Amino acid sequence: MSAASYAQIPPGTQIVIGRAARRRRVLERTICSVFEGWSYEEIIPPIFDYYDVFVKGMGTGPEEQIYRFIDREGNILALRPEFTSLVAKTVATRLASSPKPIRLYYSGEVLRFEKPKGGRQREFAQIGIEHYGASGKTADVEILLIAVETFQRLGIQAFQINLGSVDFFGGIVDRMELPADRIAELKDVLNVKDRSGLEALLERLPLGDRRKKILRAVPHLTGGKAVIAEARELVRNPRSVEALDHLEEIYSIFQRLDLAQHLTIDLGEIRGFDYYSGILFRAYVRDLGFEVASGGRYDGLSGAFGEDLPAVGFSFSVDRLEQIVTPEIAEVEAASIDVDDGFDKALQLRRSGKAVRLCL
Amino acid sequence: MLVIALCKGRFLEPSLDLLMQAGIRFPEDLASSRKLIFNSDDQRFRAVLVKPADVPTYVEYGAADAGIAGRDVVLESGADVLQPLDLKFGYCKIAVAGINGQAEEKPRVSEVEQNCDPHPARLQMTRPLPEGERDSKPTIRVATKYPHITMDYYNARGIPVEIIPLSGSIELAPLIGLADRIVDLVETGRTLKDNGLEIVEVITDSSARLLINRAGYQTKREEVLRLIQALEKVIR
Repeated sequence: MSAASYAQIPPGTQIVIGRAARRRRVLERTICSVFEGWSYEEIIPPIFDYYDVFVKGMGTGPEEQIYRFIDREGNILALRPEFTSLVAKTVATRLASSPKPIRLYYSGEVLRFEKPKGGRQREFAQIGIEHYGASGKTADVEILLIAVETFQRLGIQAFQINLGSVDFFGGIVDRMELPADRIAELKDVLNVKDRSGLEALLERLPLGDRRKKILRAVPHLTGGKAVIAEARELVRNPRSVEALDHLEEIYSIFQRLDLAQHLTIDLGEIRGFDYYSGILFRAYVRDLGFEVASGGRYDGLSGAFGEDLPAVGFSFSVDRLEQIVTPEIAEVEAASIDVDDGFDKALQLRRSGKAVRLCL
Repeated sequence: MLVIALCKGRFLEPSLDLLMQAGIRFPEDLASSRKLIFNSDDQRFRAVLVKPADVPTYVEYGAADAGIAGRDVVLESGADVLQPLDLKFGYCKIAVAGINGQAEEKPRVSEVEQNCDPHPARLQMTRPLPEGERDSKPTIRVATKYPHITMDYYNARGIPVEIIPLSGSIELAPLIGLADRIVDLVETGRTLKDNGLEIVEVITDSSARLLINRAGYQTKREEVLRLIQALEKVIR
């Protein structure tokens, strides 16, 4: 590479300098202090691990986004594309005998080979929590409340958390006994709420009218508590019904805490990594076109690493938060010191905790 | 106020008609003016005029809350947007075409249309390649305005392909030896016919779609749902 082209940076990377860097650290610090306030401890996982670890976690599809490389012994390694798999592996191994629940938070960069989009580059900062060892609504509500507090502490009022459950849709398709590629097609049209695409697909699927009616309703099951009642009219299978009971309990708790205005039930939301197993949510802020946080339950994940523990968590995208919040940074007054006097003055001021700037 | 991205060009008139029938009126001079931003008469909507291929991008980024664009454009862009409504105009097909009779066995279009799913949810086409495509050159050169759709189509069939991106008069490419095949929009088939080309296979159908930004669907739900419902009433 010639000297002139060193100015170029690889697509998808970024350099954060000075005030922007200080703002980012304040933002991260603010969020971490919320997590610490709920008794989460920091985990600093490695920046790379065996490729298999991430494939187990993310499932098929996203694995082509993983930056892979081969070490000198021939092992396939990968730069971390997310934290959840790394934490799951650690919890299932190093922390297997620790008392439960285990509450951990992380903050750092992840790398994915994808189109830089919505302020998120190929290397981007994630900050999030993982709660291991508790199933049921208490842990689910705990992490949702932490997400709410994070928004509030950042001074963001107009945020919406969209809460769904993979079990609602899962319960519906379980009964249909469709081949995997048909389910994938079905998910594709439902994901974009494409009604005409759904109709065309339903014509080709061997399903009865009642089941077709359910599938037609799924993309529109979004809103407040009424949506749960509407969904109850449609499904009878135990898996979906349990999911509705669970969502209703969570919603009721939010109503009691006077936070329901931030929560939307969204049963049409079925996107996400393969590891999700229960609740699933995404958070949006008004006037930002992309989600800023996402999370959910992934009870089977640590089992893939040898220790089956229920788990729930979420992560915030720091780069996207930076587009909507500009944290205050304190300006530090530094004393200008003339070095001709020797360094004594500078050292003296430093010992008393003052900032200095040497004049050259 | 909701921002709606509209395509300049042939989609503009029908889009404005549809919006007007749904009670959303923009100034008369919208189509002739050089301005790019217009507010509706009731100030509840703002139209931005952009190139068709850019509509999904505006909507995906949330620069526009909603947009109207052809399904072909959305597929090509790969944008992650909601597509709740087929607006029932701008019908056409995206098809592979070649010079008349150059496929060793002529594809029977009626049969092709029967076998092919007119509206595949995803372009993971694992159907076998039409007769005659099988023993062609090791690498097929394909001229197209749709490099992504074309790549997906041939990749799914394991056919090595060299894509020649063009931005207009695609039909010319096979006639003067620039390409073996083209992938292009076909409305009536008239242009193909006039140039001695014929459809080898229909990849998918296209028509105008209403696009909605994912975040806006949640954070501005009432306004967005009102728009969807108003348009749905008109197209029914």
